[in-house]
Amino acid sequence: MSSHSHVEGQLPHEPERATLEGRNKITGFWLFLGGETVLFGTLFAAYLTLRGQVMDGPTPNELFDFLLVAIATALLLTSSLTSVFALQAMHKHDTKGLLAWLLVTVVLGAAFLGLEIYEFNHYVHLGHKFSTSAFSTSFYTLVGFHGAHVAFGLLWAVLIMLQLKNRGLNTTTAPKVYLFGMYWHFIDVVWVFIFTVVYLMGKVG
Amino acid sequence: MAAANGQNSAGRSDVKTSRPEGSKKHVIAFVFSILLTFISFGLVMAGEINTDFVYIMLVVLAIIQVFVQMAFWMHMKDKGHGFAIIGILTGVIIVFTCVIMALFWTTW
Repeated sequence: MSSHSHVEGQLPHEPERATLEGRNKITGFWLFLGGETVLFGTLFAAYLTLRGQVMDGPTPNELFDFLLVAIATALLLTSSLTSVFALQAMHKHDTKGLLAWLLVTVVLGAAFLGLEIYEFNHYVHLGHKFSTSAFSTSFYTLVGFHGAHVAFGLLWAVLIMLQLKNRGLNTTTAPKVYLFGMYWHFIDVVWVFIFTVVYLMGKVG
Repeated sequence: MAAANGQNSAGRSDVKTSRPEGSKKHVIAFVFSILLTFISFGLVMAGEINTDFVYIMLVVLAIIQVFVQMAFWMHMKDKGHGFAIIGILTGVIIVFTCVIMALFWTTW
């Protein structure tokens, strides 16, 4: 099938919904995202409960830096937009464009992850370790879980790109791209609450 | 089906004309998100605003931004997303219960 690049012409406009399996995957993934919402929600609840318990460690206000959070937010938000462009390229059956936009998304996501690793490293040097206080533990658990999701998303995107290169765009690979897009937007949505609740509210309080 | 077949050669121009319209909504959602983020940062960086007001505004702005992104980027506004809404809403209800309980225990 992969040698038949002209078969693309027979792909429907939305190849991710062409098969029942594809549609079921999308519905199932929404239920998964509901579960992910609960996971992050409980971590947020734990953070909100414990964020005042700083012991002898640094307070959120001393720790957080506006510029760092602003750059991280811009990177992740832009990568969410580029993953939309990837899906639009897919809907035009433009495999090259799809791969290019996925690559841009991965690069931006990797930059975000690199920034977060730098940030955590910086905090540890300031005496904000995982076991310093209830605040530090709940902070690293919440933000770290998000970072782990970004890392997993990057790996997933790279594997999808490899599969697209080998097998081309068809009704089997298209749902995978669509699910990755949803996952990536979900990560961005979680980040909106993290920069609001953790960083900005940490600066207010 | 016929329209999809023609996209390789003759259909190109047709695809091109439909493209800006397609991505326009998403770029607007992006600009809107950036704007909401700027307001959030501005509220906190301004400093001398009533703290309770800032807290409430931050939560409201975050919820608006999430609604925009989920409606446009995750296509929740499109048809056939009944299960999507049920799935996410179930999660959101549990989350709200958890967060409100947590705040209730610690703040009151």
